[in-house]
Amino acid sequence: MTPEYLLGLALLVIGTIASAFPRDKDYLTRLINLEIPGFGLLLVMLSYDEALALFTFAGVSVITTFVFVRVMEKRGIP
Amino acid sequence: MNELYAILFGFITLLGGVTTAIYRDPFDKLISLSLLAAGIFPFIVDRGYVDVAAAAALIAPLGTIFTLMVCRRRARDA
Amino acid sequence: MIALAVVAIIAALEAVRVVAERNTMRKLPYLNVVSFAITGSLMLLLPHPLTILACAAYFVGSTLESNAIASTWSGGIRKHE
Repeated sequence: MTPEYLLGLALLVIGTIASAFPRDKDYLTRLINLEIPGFGLLLVMLSYDEALALFTFAGVSVITTFVFVRVMEKRGIP
Repeated sequence: MNELYAILFGFITLLGGVTTAIYRDPFDKLISLSLLAAGIFPFIVDRGYVDVAAAAALIAPLGTIFTLMVCRRRARDA
Repeated sequence: MIALAVVAIIAALEAVRVVAERNTMRKLPYLNVVSFAITGSLMLLLPHPLTILACAAYFVGSTLESNAIASTWSGGIRKHE
């Protein structure tokens, strides 16, 4: 029960609820809210001392954002 | 980590997460997301993962810049 | 250890001021203060030669992020008018 673990779980819950039921139901709000559980998952991985998973997740999570941005530019902004 | 510092940086992190979830303007959300990232880094450095902190600090602005591409396009179209 | 406490308390107070400010552009100087305080606290938490690399990376990254937000905000509004 380190503080990183509790903080990561709190961020996962907040971000999941905010991303599932956003206040403005458009793609941009959901995309920005989706970054909150990413940081929460980073903190949970940190509390278990998984160095390789931490490094890989920190490096690759931007590619998800880039792919979503490209999809939103292809389909047009609602 | 000492209790005082864990409470202070955890307070910054939770403040950033909650306000990212409840704001409606995209620029306010991005500023609060930067606040959330600022609260994360002392926890990463305190466990000794300095290389992970350097990689995450260089990669986190890239996600913001990719998201700003959508914001710019939406401000131009609207 | 008193320096780390001072820097951490300054960071928390300025984080409250970022949230309490209503205007979007006036939030950014307080966000810069938070970034500088976090950079100082990273260096004071782990006195190691490699930490200065992480401090430099975080400093450059947070400044770039704030500048990108401010540039996009002003450019979008000017094109819109």
